[in-house]
Amino acid sequence: MEFYTQALSKVLTVWPIVAMIGATLLGVFIGALPGLNPVMAIALLLPLTYSMDPLVALAMVSGIYNGSMYGGAIPAILLRIPGTPASIATTFDGFPMADKGEAAKALKIACWSSAVGGIASAIALMTVGPLLARVTLFFGPAEYFWIAIFGMASVGVMVGSDPAKGVMAAVLGLLIGTIGIDNLSGQARYTFDQTWLLGGLDLIVVLVGLYALPPVLQLAEKCDLKGLSAAQLKLTNVPFKPGERRKLIPTWLRSSGIGISVGILPGAGGNIAAFLSYNAAKNASDDPESFGKGNPQGVAAAECGNNADNAASMIPALSLGIPGNVVAALVLSALTIHGLQPGPQLFHQNPVLVGGFMMEMLITSLLIFLLGGAVATRVFAQFQRLPGVLLVPSILILMCVGVYVINGRPVDLWVMLLAGIAGYFLEKLNVPLAPIILGMILGPMAEQSVRRALLISRGDATELLTRPLSAALAIATLLIITWPIVKAMRNKRAGAEI
Amino acid sequence: MERRQDIVLGLIFMGLGAAAAWMATSYTGASGIYPMVLSIILALLGATVVLKAVRAGTTSERKLVDGPAQMLVTIVLGIVYVALIVPLGFYPASFLLMLALPIALGYRRGLYALIVAAVFMGIIYLVFSLLLEKPLPRGALPSLVGLGG
Amino acid sequence: MTIQKTMIYALTSVALATPIFAEYPERAIELTIPAGAGGGTDTSARKLAILLEEALGTSIAVLNVGGGGGSVGASQFMQAKPDGYSLFATWNSPLTTVPQVQNVAYSLDSFTPIASTSETAYTLCIKTDFPATDGAGFLAELEANPGKYTYGNDGIGGTMQLAAERIFQAKGIDAVPIPFGGAGETLQNFLGGHVDIYGGSISTVLPYVESGEAACPIVTSAADVAALPNASGLDALGMGDKETLLWRAILGPKDMDPAIVAKLADVIESSVNDPSYVEFLATKGEVPNIVKGDDLGARLQAEFDGLAEVSKSLGLSN
Repeated sequence: MEFYTQALSKVLTVWPIVAMIGATLLGVFIGALPGLNPVMAIALLLPLTYSMDPLVALAMVSGIYNGSMYGGAIPAILLRIPGTPASIATTFDGFPMADKGEAAKALKIACWSSAVGGIASAIALMTVGPLLARVTLFFGPAEYFWIAIFGMASVGVMVGSDPAKGVMAAVLGLLIGTIGIDNLSGQARYTFDQTWLLGGLDLIVVLVGLYALPPVLQLAEKCDLKGLSAAQLKLTNVPFKPGERRKLIPTWLRSSGIGISVGILPGAGGNIAAFLSYNAAKNASDDPESFGKGNPQGVAAAECGNNADNAASMIPALSLGIPGNVVAALVLSALTIHGLQPGPQLFHQNPVLVGGFMMEMLITSLLIFLLGGAVATRVFAQFQRLPGVLLVPSILILMCVGVYVINGRPVDLWVMLLAGIAGYFLEKLNVPLAPIILGMILGPMAEQSVRRALLISRGDATELLTRPLSAALAIATLLIITWPIVKAMRNKRAGAEI
Repeated sequence: MERRQDIVLGLIFMGLGAAAAWMATSYTGASGIYPMVLSIILALLGATVVLKAVRAGTTSERKLVDGPAQMLVTIVLGIVYVALIVPLGFYPASFLLMLALPIALGYRRGLYALIVAAVFMGIIYLVFSLLLEKPLPRGALPSLVGLGG
Repeated sequence: MTIQKTMIYALTSVALATPIFAEYPERAIELTIPAGAGGGTDTSARKLAILLEEALGTSIAVLNVGGGGGSVGASQFMQAKPDGYSLFATWNSPLTTVPQVQNVAYSLDSFTPIASTSETAYTLCIKTDFPATDGAGFLAELEANPGKYTYGNDGIGGTMQLAAERIFQAKGIDAVPIPFGGAGETLQNFLGGHVDIYGGSISTVLPYVESGEAACPIVTSAADVAALPNASGLDALGMGDKETLLWRAILGPKDMDPAIVAKLADVIESSVNDPSYVEFLATKGEVPNIVKGDDLGARLQAEFDGLAEVSKSLGLSN
């Protein structure tokens, strides 16, 4: 453990500290602007850091990464526009809280939960990570298939009042996920001979349209010409009431565990960590009906889950050389440029640098405590002081610029508008939007893994169930689907006995 | 109201599912099975929604749009804006939207709108063009003028 | 600038018979990469872009357009103006392999070849419990057990798969290809024992060769590769003509001004040969390889024709 103290003394010098603070702030902004994402910012930043002290470069990466995961919660709470796909689950209870005049409280809970999740994840990275990394190798295509199905099961909590419509939305998302070239056969599906569709619809483009346009249109309908005054904003610092924080601790522990487990699996994707955490919190609650109506536990679960995924997603990258997501791939390429060779020997090659990066993931999570709340209230909430009619074009322009810079093609703007108009009406017709996005995220993973598993087993479908690990995951999926039903029945019986 | 809306919604999804299933028939081997199954399920779910709506005895009021005028104005101006981004360039088109949309929605303090527009566009320029160096549509006009030098 | 001035400028330009772009470049260049951020092509291109910025004295904005194995980015770039301010940094697959299996809107004629930058080979690797260790033995084992072994590759009809199939075809080998999303994912499934053979880039698997967990009996280049001393090049196996490499190049849209192409090719050549870039390439197991202008066009055409043959006999081509 000596290298950790050594690493700490290197990290706690002027430039890495400046870089961490600056990057965390930048990250919060990037996360808060719909369309902008940490990948874009880190990809842009890394080449500039090739000639820099690697610890300063990695300080920026960790700041942007951790900051942006929290930043996504700010518009999710204030405007019901998730800044990142991972903050969709934050809108479920965050916006209803803001609607009740508890915006400041929701932001504070989001801030604390993000920080707690990030810290737990960084600690996992520094301690058990390398040991767990080898375990993830047991997960083959058959297991990944079940993980995707397990994630889909969390649609159950989002379907709302009309299950048929909720499932319909999920299936629509799965179908949208099939657009483009099929990686396993080269077949182009639903591309209508449009080359830009060969890569499929971009998740962020659809997300921005589907989620940001309906609130904007509703804002326009309200036709607010005056804007909120400072007093109406109610953004003064609300301290936690005694015991309030303690009630969140079980949720934090659970969500951290979920976020870390999902994060450590290469390719499973952090976007589902928040959904799974939210689902688990609702299942564990005594009062599941209050979720979706402004329950603070919902905000805590979602935000803690999506930050707990971050540092954990670095575990396979740093200990095996297998990047689990794009940010991890960028970090690996940065380390390569600084003369390190990713792989099992990475830690031994330069324990101070790798340990230092882990420290930075921890410190930037701590920084969210200090900086997150201030940024949210001092800067972003002030936007609400603008008259609504001025806010409408501003958000529209932000949406367009964010969407355009992803692929640099105007047609994406039309996709976004179309998705937005569809989203507006679907929502009015009680069709939930979150399952569409979840379907788009998990559909390709489910389809490709099951087909790969069948290729490997030469078409024998029983292998999906008979490998010990795949069997366990299949049972877990079954349990998560039936649990709410069992619980509801038990409650009914208990009610009858009284 | 609600009944009729749900029937239309269900029919749209049935149509989507049927069309997607029909297209999936031309995809080779395993790559066609998965979308085919999904399309059929989608169509069946659409049918369920229709059936439920038909069976529902009562129908309650559900307004699809709260402020049709404002919503329509916003969508139309949004479409015009997106259409103008390429020919006019991103910054001129956005600046026009910042002024036109509030006025169309009934905002009358032109100077305030102008100041907000200028500040906002300044921030966008700073972040996207200077900091992130992201190429945005420059518009046909400047490149025509700029051809000579 | 007034119209008058413009006219004079244009006239003098013509009179002096120097191209109108004498001062090229005078504004920012947009570099399209047909792959997402973080991959091999992306890092190589971004690192090179920094050196090019210095040499050209202008800024270079990078745009990642991933999807369709590179065909989305290539199709989008094809429509750019050939004014020298839109460049395309790609690896060979979107140009020579993808058109064999997908219906794409572009052909080799849709681009102006400028210069190739670097190249590397693919490799096939096995766990230590595999019954053979050297290249000839590895191929013999595969040949003796048709359909028994699975090998991971970078995607159906991708260059990696075609590189392997070219060798397998020559030897009459039947191995089951399992397509993954990239070398990282292939490595994960290879280490976990879900596929028998790793197929992909050298740099990804190298640490596991050094730690003794994996062994690579074959590389897909004709010559041996220094980083993998135990691997046979195809020359050693008597199949030098079946070589397939992974290489990277910078291209422009169709009909670019030859003067600009020449200038860019020279700048690219000196930037690639910059010691810092050579060192960077070495960390990824790549070597500089510069083929400029029309020679690059010929190289693309030759590779395209060679791979067309393989994919046709594999039944992959459309």
